[in-house]
Amino acid sequence: MDASTQVRDLVRAAAAGDPRGWDGLVERFAPLVWSTARAHGLSPGEAADAAQTAWLQLAERLDRFQDDQDRVGEWLAATARRESRRTLGAARGPGPGAPAAAGAGAAPAGEPEREALLWRIVRDLSEHCRRILRLLTTVPPPSHREVAAALGLRVAQVQPARATCLQEFRRRMADIGIKTTAGDS
Amino acid sequence: MSDDFNEELDTRGRDDDPLMEELRRAAGRFDPQPPAVLEAARASYSWRTIDAELAELAFDSVVDRPATTLRGGEGPRLLTFAAPGLDVEVEVSREGPRRRLVGQVVPPQTAQIEVHHGGGVEPVQADELGRFRAEGISAGPVRLRCRLGATPGGRPVVTQWVSI
Repeated sequence: MDASTQVRDLVRAAAAGDPRGWDGLVERFAPLVWSTARAHGLSPGEAADAAQTAWLQLAERLDRFQDDQDRVGEWLAATARRESRRTLGAARGPGPGAPAAAGAGAAPAGEPEREALLWRIVRDLSEHCRRILRLLTTVPPPSHREVAAALGLRVAQVQPARATCLQEFRRRMADIGIKTTAGDS
Repeated sequence: MSDDFNEELDTRGRDDDPLMEELRRAAGRFDPQPPAVLEAARASYSWRTIDAELAELAFDSVVDRPATTLRGGEGPRLLTFAAPGLDVEVEVSREGPRRRLVGQVVPPQTAQIEVHHGGGVEPVQADELGRFRAEGISAGPVRLRCRLGATPGGRPVVTQWVSI
């Protein structure tokens, strides 16, 4: 059974009242919803609310998927984006948890070992690249359509954005003297 | 190359860039989804309503008229939910971490309203002019479930969930 058939079955099961279908959708797509909210620069508390709002809306909408149940990931990503932007619109002005700081998680504490340094570089990228890379770090990996929906891009923009942003990322690694591959001596 | 082809590649998880692998590990370490968020997603299923009319969010002043909504939470936020033949208008004010809702059912009629929010369910009554108010509502996802006076035997109306 391929992935899209699995997703269809989960949506149908959830729509029919089976909580296991719902749990399957949550397991599969909760990381995407979280990543989308965080990529938009929401604080952890704001992202939690935006994420839950997206899931609550999905619960009401399960019956309305017709032949497009396999697109539920895109719907969730687009909804998480809409709710994130709504939150940003309603939020107070710049303060603690301002987007640049909130978008990529806590500053890693302690000795700047490699992964921590890489994460710091993500935080310092342009907003566009920070968002793209944050989405692409989601596990399980989102499809191009899901990334596009999460960030309001056209599907065709995703792969070039990934390439450009990774190139920029590597440039910054070189600037601060990090080897581009772990384990290089 | 069609989007469907890219779709297939994505589904097989073909992203063999070792740097992306490292970034995935970093994301998992430094910005993981909190367990409470995952649990709240699971629990959202229990809020599903089966036999109610859905009133969708038709207007949100922070989205649809941002220039007139004062940032910093000073002014009220205006929401309008619309179902066939019915609008529910809500003004949302911040009281620190809580919210006050002042609302209006249109066309004006009495209604028994439940405010579903993070703190539970708050029952309020709309008067014969359709006016209602609720205080001490938790910030976060909220919706209203309305039993309308004009159609006592009819289906309840539930609004779309929105985060306030």
